[in-house]
Parts: sequence; C-alpha cells; structure tokens
Amino acid sequence: MSDALRQSLDLSLFWEYRQVLLSGLLFNVYVFACSAVTALLVGLAAALLRVNRSWPFRWIGTVHVELFRNAPDYIMVVWVHFVLPLLLGAIIGRRLEFHPFVSAVIALGFVYSGYFAETFRAGIQAIPIGHVEAARACGMGERLILWRIILPQVVRRMLPEAVNQLVSLFKATTIVSLIAVPDLMYNVSMVTATEMRPLPLYTGAALTYFAVIWLAATGVRLLSERWRSKIYA
Amino acid sequence: MDATPAIRVVDLRKSFGTLEVLKGVSFDVDRGSVVSMIGASGSGKSTLLRCINFLETPSGGEVYIDGEPMGFRTDATGQRRLQPLSEINRMRRDLGMVFQQFNLWPHMTVLGNVIEAPMRVRGMNRKRAAALGEECLARVHLSEKAREYPARLSGGQQQRVAIARALAMQPKAMLFDEPTSSLDPELTDEVLAVMRELAGDGTTMIVVTHEMGFARDASDRVLFLHNGLIEEEGPPEQVFGAPRSERCRQFLSKHLQ
Amino acid sequence: MSNWERLVWNQRGVLLQGLAVTVEVCLIAFAVAIVGGLTLCLIRMHVRPLRPVAIVLIEFFRATPIFVQLMWVTYVWPELFGWPNSFFTAGWLALGLQSSGYLAETFRAGIEGIARGHREAGYALGMPPLLVFRRIVMPQTLLTVAPSIVNQFTVIVKSSTLISVITVQDLMFQAMKLVNVWYEPIEILTVTAALYILFVFLVSTAGKLLADRLRRRYGLAAA
Repeated sequence: MSDALRQSLDLSLFWEYRQVLLSGLLFNVYVFACSAVTALLVGLAAALLRVNRSWPFRWIGTVHVELFRNAPDYIMVVWVHFVLPLLLGAIIGRRLEFHPFVSAVIALGFVYSGYFAETFRAGIQAIPIGHVEAARACGMGERLILWRIILPQVVRRMLPEAVNQLVSLFKATTIVSLIAVPDLMYNVSMVTATEMRPLPLYTGAALTYFAVIWLAATGVRLLSERWRSKIYA
Repeated sequence: MDATPAIRVVDLRKSFGTLEVLKGVSFDVDRGSVVSMIGASGSGKSTLLRCINFLETPSGGEVYIDGEPMGFRTDATGQRRLQPLSEINRMRRDLGMVFQQFNLWPHMTVLGNVIEAPMRVRGMNRKRAAALGEECLARVHLSEKAREYPARLSGGQQQRVAIARALAMQPKAMLFDEPTSSLDPELTDEVLAVMRELAGDGTTMIVVTHEMGFARDASDRVLFLHNGLIEEEGPPEQVFGAPRSERCRQFLSKHLQ
Repeated sequence: MSNWERLVWNQRGVLLQGLAVTVEVCLIAFAVAIVGGLTLCLIRMHVRPLRPVAIVLIEFFRATPIFVQLMWVTYVWPELFGWPNSFFTAGWLALGLQSSGYLAETFRAGIEGIARGHREAGYALGMPPLLVFRRIVMPQTLLTVAPSIVNQFTVIVKSSTLISVITVQDLMFQAMKLVNVWYEPIEILTVTAALYILFVFLVSTAGKLLADRLRRRYGLAAA
C-alpha cells in the first residue's frame, strides 16, 4: 500500500513525458475552443428560434434543445464520427469520412448548444419588456435593439451559468480520446501501454485536469462577478 | 405661429381581442403646450399614449406628428397600410417617451443610456453626443451622476435620467406615462419639479398622471378619460373648477383630498 | 427495413440486457451520490476539523472530468487501496463520487437558503439543534433540492455511457460490440442514441413536473 502510494505520488514518469502530455493538453484546448464557438453560435440561433413569435420556429428550437440537452456526449461523439459521414455521403453520393477532430467539434458543439440555448433563452426572457420599449421609443431598430440592449444584458445575466457550462464542455473534451483525437488522455493511455505503469500517469492526468479546470473556473468566476457587480448593485 | 398642432389624434381606436380599450379619441396638442391626461386606471390613458408612438398599433384612427401621418399610409387603391418598422422608427425619434418603470438599461452608465440613441440612431459622433448628453443631464440636475450605473441611483434620480434620455433625441414632443407612479412620495417632487421646468421652457408634453396638483398647475389643457372616451376636456381651471361631467366630478373629489 | 430488423430488432435481447445494466449501475451510483453528497455537505458545514478535507474532495470531484476520474478509480485505486475489485464496481463508484461532489454543493445551497427565522422559531420553542435540523431544515431542503437531485440523475445516466470503455456491459458497450461485429453502425448507433435521449428526456421531464408540483403546493423555488 505505502509502496503504491509512493509510486502514484511519484510523478517523475509523468514529468519525463511532459512534452507529449502537454501537446495532448493543447489538443484539449483546441477542441474546447472550436466546440465552444460552435456551441455559442448554434445555441444563440436556437434561443432566438425559441423566443420567435411564430410557432413553427419555436417548435424547431424546442426540438433542438430537447434533443441535444438530453443526449450523452459520448454517444453523440460516436454517432457523429461513425454514422453522420455515412448519411451525408449517401446524400452527396460519395464516400465521406470525418477527421476525428472535426467529429469531436461537431458533436460537442451541438450537444452544448442545447445547454447554451436554454441559458440564452432564460437570459432573453428575463429582460423586462420595458427595456425594449424604451429602445423602440428612441427609434432604435430591432437589430440594434438585439445587439445593443438585449445581448449585452443577456451575456451578463447568463455569465455564471455559461461559465459552468463552459467548464463542463472542457471536461467533456477528455472523451474525444475515445475516437483517437490525440489529447492528454489519449497520450496517457498510449504511454501507459508502453510503460505499463498506470498509477503515476493517471494520477498525474487527474491532477493536471483538476488544476487547470479549477484555476480557470475560479479565475473566470471571480472576474465575471466583479464585472457583474457593477450593474447588479 | 404655425397653426399645425404638434400632435393631432383623430378618432383613435384600440382593441385587445374583444376588449375595446379606446373607442374613438380625438384631440390636438398645440406646439409648446402641456396636456395632462387623467382618469381612473383602466380608462385607457396609458394605451392612448402608447398608441401615439405605436408601441401599441392602433386598431383605427390616425395620429399626425407636425402634420405628418404616423404609422399608416393610404396607398393608391385607398387601402390603409401599416408602414414598415423603419418608417415608424424614424417618426418615433420625434417623440420622447418616459415610462412608469424608468426602463433604464442596467448595463450602461447613466451617460451611456442618454447618448445611446443619439449615437446609434441619429449617427452622432461620441464627442458631440456626450456634450449633448451632459447638457441633458444638466437639465435634470444630474450632471454629477453621469458615470454611475443606474442601479446605484434612487428611483427619482433614475426617472430623471430617463427624462434626459428622452430629451437627448431632441424630440418635438415628450410623452410621460405615469412618470411618478412607481416612486415613493418623497421622490415624486424632484421629478415633478424637472417636468415643471420643461413645461416652463416651452416643451410640448403629454402627461398621463395621477398627480392632480401637477395637472392643475402645470398644464394648459386637461383631458379626463373614462372607458376609452374623452369624457371631459378643457383648461385646468374649468376641468378642476367646474367639471360638467358627473363622473369627472366624482373622480376629482376622490383624488383631490 | 431489413437492416433495421436484422441489426436492431433481432438484437433486442442483447440491447435490453445492456439497458438493464445501465439502469442498475445508474441507480447504485445515484444512491452513492446522495449518501456521499449529504455526508460531505454536513462535514463541510458542521465538522470544523474535517472541513478542509471535505472542501478538497468536493472541489476535486467537481473539477475533474468524469472520464479521467473513471480511469483513475479503475486503474489506480485497486493498487492504492486494493479496491474496487471489479470493473462494475469501479463504474458505479466513479459515477457516484463525481455526483456526490455536485450534490454536496446542492444540499449546502438548499440548507443555507432556509430563512434563519425558521430555525430561530424552532430554537425559541425549545427544540434542540438536532431536532431543528431533522424536522425543520432537512424536510425543506429536500423539497427545494428535489428537482436538482433528479437533474443529477440525468447527469449520471449520460456519463454512464463511458463505463463501456472499461468493459462494463451496459447499453453502450453492447451497441459498440454489435457495430464491431457487423460494421454497419447507422441503425444500431441511431437507435442506441435515441434510447438514451428518450431515457434522459423522460427522467428530466419527470423532474420538471416534480418541480412544478412542489412550487404549486409549497410555493418553493428550486435551488
């Protein structure tokens, strides 16, 4: 037991492979950044559909949200990687294959767009109608109202919630190793296979992820609170 | 002086489903005059005000701003058509509106609220807009609060900022929708004082209010609305001194204590 | 149509077996999460000397990705602690631990959200602290956090797909096995995805109905 403990806390092996592992962590960041942008844009579009005045749009938005919010990320990653290319290929009549990175970004982007859509929608609906009317009374057009009056308030309102979802998204990027995106977890399992010493490697990976996520989340939360407190005094 | 009234309302009607809120209201507001609208809640005062700048689309009737028809145009075939939003927006700039709930945008500073529309709608550059904004804030005696966020202001101060925001568009007329109704009594006076100053400067104003003192002292004409119709109208001395309508007399006796 | 029949309908026994394993693992993990979460929460709030330990554990469970935790528990714990001794156990343990971190914070928010006056009213009547906790604090907390607890169950179900990676024979595992046998992923993966989405949708809808009902009956806002 004490030997195992010492081994798992002896991270020299982890240090030895630091370059491979760091490049893996960078892959997590790439996947995270690309899918976050996708998720935010698609989520905003879905939220705007959900608050649309005509019901077919609202319905499409609702189906989008329910579909992706209730889907496990792993099966969506697998589905996008193995099924979507076949379906699209059948449509355009050509053999199609996605790079694992692309599959990961599409799958995670769409899954999290479901969560962001709900956050955006709640933020939009929480804005008093009077703020919009005041803008209309000033002669502001609908697009100007969206970008200047609604979205800036939505962003501030949804920030704490959105930070939580971004943290979840970053954590979800670890599963892309399962379709062979060479991220930190993937490299850890590769090194484990050659060195046959899972203890320090998996412990190191867990500690690394914990440190990165905890620091980033805490930092962003502090910043966003400071920024928000100016308005919601 | 030009005889065209600043605002002319002709046979204005508004229904919500089967509920008829305005049943044909007509009146003129002369340039530089102050018209107060009084009446019980539910009499249609606020709806009337909101129909004037098309925050509610009227079901019938016309509104003219400086002689120009607002919202509707009659096309070649004689059909009445709602104008596109851009056209309505263009005319809304000439009507400043002050809401009961202030409706300041919380994510912008006081000055930011005031200069937003001059910059984005009128296309003014920031420097000129800021100068104008400072001027408008001075008119409501809040120059020192320009850099604060709305949440740090009292209700009365917020409402004065809202007035400055409307003034910054240099409107032809100002519409006040119960501007003091959500304020504590001790805060209403500072807002009413600012409104009196505006009236004194010759601002054209329509004021929906429960403040009978303001209606009596500060306005040129008073309209008493009841059930979607103008029940009594005239100069304040007449409406408050010798109302012809029984309902108006009852309403006043209840509200003048 | 024959593809659907051959690949999905004829394999329904295997898929349902997998679904049963999924449900079993999730229920065990859920129980672990509730007990673990409440324990962590109470230690954090009321056991001064152990407080830092509870905080570190909560933060660690919450800030580490479930997949990483699963691997860690599966491959490192047996050598460290000599347990868990099967992949099945490792599966529910990892899922339960992660959720216990989240539930600990949910419980804390619920307990702290109860107006001080409610507790004081109890003390004023001469109720001892434990009685106040048991009769006043806990019932209200459970009511306000019930929807969040249901929501946490959906998180467990979604994360449970990952235990197929350590060869626990859940629905995901069976689906991937069929894919590897037939090399025809379209039907199997689509049906499996639909089953998961439906399952999670039903649970979360039940959670929403529960939240609405509580709100109507007790006027409570969910924590």
